[in-house]
Amino acid sequence: MTKKWMRCFLRESGREAPSPCPSTLLNALLVALFILFIFIFSFSRLEYDFHWAGVWAYRAKFLRGLGMTLVLSFFSLIVSFLLGSFFALGQKSRFLPFYFFSRFYVEIIRGTPLLVQILVFFYVIADAFRVQNRYVTGVVILSLFAGAYISEIIRAGIDSIGETQLETARSLGLTRFQQYRFIIFPQVFKRILPPLAGQLVSLIKDSSLLSIISVSEFTLNAQEVNAYTYSTLESYLPLAVGYLLITYPISNLSKRLERAFSYET
Amino acid sequence: MKEKIIGFLFVMSLLLFAGCGHGEKNVLNVGMELAYPPFEMTDKEGRPAGISVDMAHELGKFLNRPVKIWNISFDGLIPSLKTGKIDVIISSMTITEERSQSVTFSNPYSKAYLALLVSKDSPVEKVEDLNSKGRVIAVKKGTTGHLYAREHFPLARINVFDKESACVLEVVQKKADCFIYDQMTIFTNWQKNPDTTRAILKPFQKDFEYWGMAMRKDDTELHRQVNAFLESFKENGGFDRLAEKYLKDEKETFDELGIPFFFSP
Amino acid sequence: MKLDITGLTKVFDGKRVLSGISLHLDNIRSLVIIGPSGGGKSTLLRIIAGLLVPEEGTIAVNGHAIPSEEKALRDYRKTIGMVFQSYNLFPHLTAAENIMLPLVRVHGYEPERARVHAMGLLERFQLSAHAEKKPALLSGGQKQRIAIARAVAVSPSFLLFDEPTSALDPEFTSEVLDVIEELREEGKDLILVTHEMGFAKIVSDYALFLDEGIIAGAGNPSEIFDTPDEQRLVQFLDKVLKY
Repeated sequence: MTKKWMRCFLRESGREAPSPCPSTLLNALLVALFILFIFIFSFSRLEYDFHWAGVWAYRAKFLRGLGMTLVLSFFSLIVSFLLGSFFALGQKSRFLPFYFFSRFYVEIIRGTPLLVQILVFFYVIADAFRVQNRYVTGVVILSLFAGAYISEIIRAGIDSIGETQLETARSLGLTRFQQYRFIIFPQVFKRILPPLAGQLVSLIKDSSLLSIISVSEFTLNAQEVNAYTYSTLESYLPLAVGYLLITYPISNLSKRLERAFSYET
Repeated sequence: MKEKIIGFLFVMSLLLFAGCGHGEKNVLNVGMELAYPPFEMTDKEGRPAGISVDMAHELGKFLNRPVKIWNISFDGLIPSLKTGKIDVIISSMTITEERSQSVTFSNPYSKAYLALLVSKDSPVEKVEDLNSKGRVIAVKKGTTGHLYAREHFPLARINVFDKESACVLEVVQKKADCFIYDQMTIFTNWQKNPDTTRAILKPFQKDFEYWGMAMRKDDTELHRQVNAFLESFKENGGFDRLAEKYLKDEKETFDELGIPFFFSP
Repeated sequence: MKLDITGLTKVFDGKRVLSGISLHLDNIRSLVIIGPSGGGKSTLLRIIAGLLVPEEGTIAVNGHAIPSEEKALRDYRKTIGMVFQSYNLFPHLTAAENIMLPLVRVHGYEPERARVHAMGLLERFQLSAHAEKKPALLSGGQKQRIAIARAVAVSPSFLLFDEPTSALDPEFTSEVLDVIEELREEGKDLILVTHEMGFAKIVSDYALFLDEGIIAGAGNPSEIFDTPDEQRLVQFLDKVLKY
């Protein structure tokens, strides 16, 4: 079994001699070419004539939709973070009504599909309260949804702070509030940044479901262009690329944050 | 032993792939959205049923080909046709110039027209009222109602939905002034929501909407055959039979109201 | 330091960790508590620290009863300094910030004054060079000494040590014990739970042997370490001093 050439395909490890080829570059290129080949092959087999001009005429509509998705995701992230913090504290609270309400909230939201939540919230609950604005309601729905997941992230973060630290804090005379403010939250905040970034990516993707209540975000706008031009692939491919353009930098940032903070601990 | 397992997996995958695609070349794949009673719907056992389904089977008998019905959402029908997933669309689809750029239509076999389901408290009294700022119109994605609204009511806000039920709900909950759709569906929904809606059934378009079966532009043979079928079906009283079977009551009501009905091109 | 304990009992999950402890000491500078794991040493220390509330019994330090209500307890905790076995320092703060935190937030020091005080203490323990480092970059011995500095910083009426060297690499043990001895020389009252018998003998005025929740031996250092008479104490010392 020859081993020298095989090292070209393995990530370099300190335990072995260095690779005889530029491994990272070579392999990334190889995989990219392979994926490109699959795409080209699939598209060439389709009996589909691409007609980009029609869709290009609607580029402003695409951009408007993308902008709306960003706005919705941004506000939802902030509100869901607040909700998540609130209910994470609730899940650790000794005040039973608060504790049970928090657990109820988390279980219900995590146990039902977002699609169902959107329909029930907008057509039943919001309507009962005579709230008609679908954009505000959309942000509320997304925030409630993400808030439940964020509260679990924060709760796990709080639990990861060792008991002894809290005991030390108590022995120093810090109040419960001071313990949270000076000991727990500064550490938890850093630890949850990576999963929070992941949650932002999910938010951006999940916001596409708001299209079913006609919130004019990215996906709905692409679907409308498809309806006007009958050019489905030309409408949806830019949609996919657009989402990737936003989400990739965020997940990349998240990975880098993860590495930075694990180094510190 | 290893060879036997590999051999077995190989044969299994061959069988799997053989089952893929459309198998027999002779099957006529018919696409429709089973959400438009009594033309395209499902019976209690979940099987496709309705006027268009019956017509599809009659077409199959005429061409001596087995028929398979594919349930596809309305705005996905033309893309499915273009990519070869289906061979013909029989889904009460209106013949329009724009659609004719992508597909070819058979001779018209029915006519319909757009009507309005109006919210009880809305200030809209006639169609022209819709073209003003502050009016909200609910439409179903990709339908002629959607396209008509876009062209004729530029000052109004147009909310686009996937499902007819969502549009009706929007009108009932006063989130939209009206829903634009075909006269019969509007009529039926008005009957179902007498307290919250009213209907404007008088035709307001320049001309009727004519329904046709859609096929790929290069499928000239099928185009010829379908037109031949429609000719023969009409002569044999096929349409009358269908109207009698499915639309008896509605026809009576419409005749009483003095509003034009479907199968009289 | 005056210590008055009567009938002290502590129960955890149905198990009696301390059973009716009674003890009356006066004019003791340094008290050492030894004994096997689970014997109740840490529990007793935590009750004296105001971190646990006993089920039964009373306890008074320097003539003042330790309160049982949380708010009063918190005020009590401000008057003592405690050093734990490990994970004393807060990992997200530097050495100096660790010492400053209780000064500023609990004792109302102005940040400037707190910083001066903290730096002074670090200087005294020869740790100035590490003032701006986070605990991850410090050795076990350095971290414990900084923890001691923090405990001393608030000018407590007495210090409590819960096995301060048990989690350390042997090479760091003596630097920490040196600090404790220094503090005793300066006249600070302290209660020390430890397994370091040699050190315990040197540094204590009085020693307690706690086993299975009761005081199974008590007396001055020579009584306890040189001429133990109690059976269990003899066995315990044999085990500990074997190697």
